[in-house]
Amino acid sequence: MSTAVETMQREFVAIVGPSHVVSDPAACAAVSVDGKTPQCIVYPTSAEEVAAVLRRAAELGLAVIPCRNGTKLGVGNPPRRYDVALSLKDMNRVWHYEPDDLTVTVEPGMKFGDFQHFVGRHGLWLPLDPPGGARASLGGIVATNATGPLRLHYGAPRDMVLGMKIATVEGKVVKTGGRVVKNVAGYDIAKLLIGSYGTLGVIVETSFKLFPLPAERATFVIPVGTLGIGRDLRRRILHSPMTPLRMVLLDARAAELTLAGTPLERSVKELEIWLEMAGSARGMGRCHGELEDLAKAAGASLHRLAADSADSVWTRVADLPSWLPGRSPGVVILKALLPDASSEELFSRAEQEAENDKALLAGFAQLGVGVLHLCLLSEAATPAVLGLIRRLRGAAENLGGVLTIERCHWDLKERLDAWGTDSDDFAVMKKIKETWDPKGTLSPGRFVGRL
Amino acid sequence: MKPRPLVRELTRLIGPDAVLWRPEDVMLYEYDGLSVTAPPELVVFPSTTEHVVEIVKLAAREGMPVVARGAGTGLSGGSVAAEGGIVVGFARMKKIIEIDIENLRARVQPGVVNMDLTLAVSDQGCYFAPDPSSQKACTIGGNVSENAGGPHTLAYGVTTNHILGLEVVLPDGEVIHTGARFWDRPGYDLTGLVVGSEGTLGIVTEIIARLSRKPEAVKTLLAIYDDILDAPRTVAAITARRITPAALEMMDGFTLRAVEEAFHAGFPMDSAAVLLIEVEGLREAVEDNADQIEAICRENHARDVRRAKTVEERDLLWRGRKNAFGALGRISPNYYVQDGVIPRTRLPEMLQFIAQVSERHQLRIGNIFHAGDGNLHPLLMFDARDKDQAVRVTKAAREIMAKCVEMGGSLTGEHGIGIEKRDLMPLIFSPDDLEAMRNLKAVFNPRGSLNPAKLLPSTKMCGEIRVQVSTGGAL
Repeated sequence: MSTAVETMQREFVAIVGPSHVVSDPAACAAVSVDGKTPQCIVYPTSAEEVAAVLRRAAELGLAVIPCRNGTKLGVGNPPRRYDVALSLKDMNRVWHYEPDDLTVTVEPGMKFGDFQHFVGRHGLWLPLDPPGGARASLGGIVATNATGPLRLHYGAPRDMVLGMKIATVEGKVVKTGGRVVKNVAGYDIAKLLIGSYGTLGVIVETSFKLFPLPAERATFVIPVGTLGIGRDLRRRILHSPMTPLRMVLLDARAAELTLAGTPLERSVKELEIWLEMAGSARGMGRCHGELEDLAKAAGASLHRLAADSADSVWTRVADLPSWLPGRSPGVVILKALLPDASSEELFSRAEQEAENDKALLAGFAQLGVGVLHLCLLSEAATPAVLGLIRRLRGAAENLGGVLTIERCHWDLKERLDAWGTDSDDFAVMKKIKETWDPKGTLSPGRFVGRL
Repeated sequence: MKPRPLVRELTRLIGPDAVLWRPEDVMLYEYDGLSVTAPPELVVFPSTTEHVVEIVKLAAREGMPVVARGAGTGLSGGSVAAEGGIVVGFARMKKIIEIDIENLRARVQPGVVNMDLTLAVSDQGCYFAPDPSSQKACTIGGNVSENAGGPHTLAYGVTTNHILGLEVVLPDGEVIHTGARFWDRPGYDLTGLVVGSEGTLGIVTEIIARLSRKPEAVKTLLAIYDDILDAPRTVAAITARRITPAALEMMDGFTLRAVEEAFHAGFPMDSAAVLLIEVEGLREAVEDNADQIEAICRENHARDVRRAKTVEERDLLWRGRKNAFGALGRISPNYYVQDGVIPRTRLPEMLQFIAQVSERHQLRIGNIFHAGDGNLHPLLMFDARDKDQAVRVTKAAREIMAKCVEMGGSLTGEHGIGIEKRDLMPLIFSPDDLEAMRNLKAVFNPRGSLNPAKLLPSTKMCGEIRVQVSTGGAL
């Protein structure tokens, strides 16, 4: 072990204690990012320890990547440097919980599944279906503003965070917002941290607004022959009095892959719309009838899924990066964000491009949200995939959107930016990064514009 | 009196009728809803983003502050030119540039009146959700700057939840575009940071807003109480029963008598408090929810629960609520409206505390609450000509604010910090928290020329904290 590494460890041991610094090569390899492996993992147990670790790391010129279960470490550009993994595993405490106020304040290391269980006892939930599912951590969900199809009805972490505490590379713990549901005192710095992918500071505490669990839920499946019919149904459903919680359009391959291994496994022949409704028994009865009429008018049928099996299916739809690589090693997952009404057009364009290139495509569109996951399943030669991704990115940008790379082998990222094209506000973003993290201590090179 | 050369330059660039400089003209722009007055040197009315760029460039050259202004309805002094300089009035930038119903988006200029956007999309079954009480006058640019709320934010969120992107002119004249027409563009959420920054980070010249679809059914309930504390108890019970109405407002007897005298909205003159509750959504859901809510009101000793039978009845109830400040303005020469927030479960306790404060300082206090989200608007009545009363109001306001903070709440839920509460910021933020805010401000507004003396505490004034008391009338 080199002296530099020994010094680094000694410094961190002095802050968090010997049992909270790990340099075992296998453990470090498990948190490697895009081919780079850290020298050690530090497990702080308090906000103050996080701040002290960051400050020392900055003084030593080290690069730190915050993480928990690593469900989103594959997103972003390859790090320029990576010395220390800062694991928030040991920060799981609940500071305030007022079920009757529908508010909670928690540490970032708590797993999403545990959290939902914790508040679920009181009929509450945080209505998100992020990638990583139950294994994702609250801190990670907030830092990446992670959403799934539920964004349609409930919004994103950015709409649910009431306030937070942030550890900075200066060694400070800074508070923004508060614990009440309405608050405009001071700059909304939380917004800046939400979706910043650990590049400005480390979120050490978050207050959330909670929501009542819906009384009843039901999932419906509508097979649609073509993207045109899908678009027509999307318009009719979203412009009806009904308010679906979530709604996706999947091609046959995507649907079949999602259902494989679940109790609902079946062969799928055409595009399908899956949607979930919630409400009272009476309201649900009405929705069922209206959906049946809409489906019939489009020449399609309607099937209702049992609630418990539907849940597992929704989890898989939201959490592609966790299971899809297991079924299709080498899969490239692209995520387009665009005006919702253009989803089917990009979907159709992607189908043509994939066919021309003889690539296998599985497409998942989150309707009403403007998110389209395009998954390239076949392991094509790198130059061909590069060309295809560039063409799809061009198509997304022509429709007024962007195309990001959610998951791919890191050698591709050396030649393609994971986030897409910069915009005219990038100079301000860069200045903010320089203000918060002048030495590039936090996740250097990983974010938009390789910040 | 001769105008300074800058006036000629601005006139040439923006138009002969677009620049005010005579003292009697600029005087109209020296106050807003807070009524702390400070006259600007010039008022300029741009018609385009390019005009705004020219104005900030000239202001930078002259070393003059620049303050953006919508309709001047703000309640914390956000549009007052605290240190003079140029007020940029958005009265001529009121175009709705684009309406895109399929994507539920609108692109508007900042001077568009909040209600006008809703009216423009109403035929197509849509509306703009943030609904501050001043929505017939206030502008969307102002809503963005203050992150405005309103009664229906309980279910639908405040302004920031409805804004996707902004065009912003920085003080050096650079124009940036934050966000996008779609959600969650990768990169730092500058839109989220600029919304609610009270004009201190940049001048917003275009806004991409989200439109919402009108619900199929609406039911408005009026619950009437003989004991004032039963009203906040009902609010806590509704929240605890996991029901989220679209709006849940409270007015005390004192306030609603004033409202009734002014508007004849149908509020009972003899009650101690009322709750105005609205539920929206699918017909079936609305009926179910209204029944549940009525039962909870009665469990909590509501004397009566009425339902608005017609659209007119509903509008009348809301007109009474939204003009309540004005009604109180009729019965007192001056009032000071607060905007504190507390956890909803503590509303009964807070109401008792306010009664004690009223007693202790011998001041009449009217209570209008966005009760569902714990946002309080106590109105402290006084006569500004009476120095002793003004001092007592200051003390009383300070005590109520401190109580909000002690309960884990906030200084402001929707009116903003502005001039009014800037020196109270240390009550809820540490020096490190405030320094982080100052550092961010420096990224956008390094010379502090945009809307100076707002939002952040003055660095000169340490220790001594005071409340700026409004001596103004009402909206």
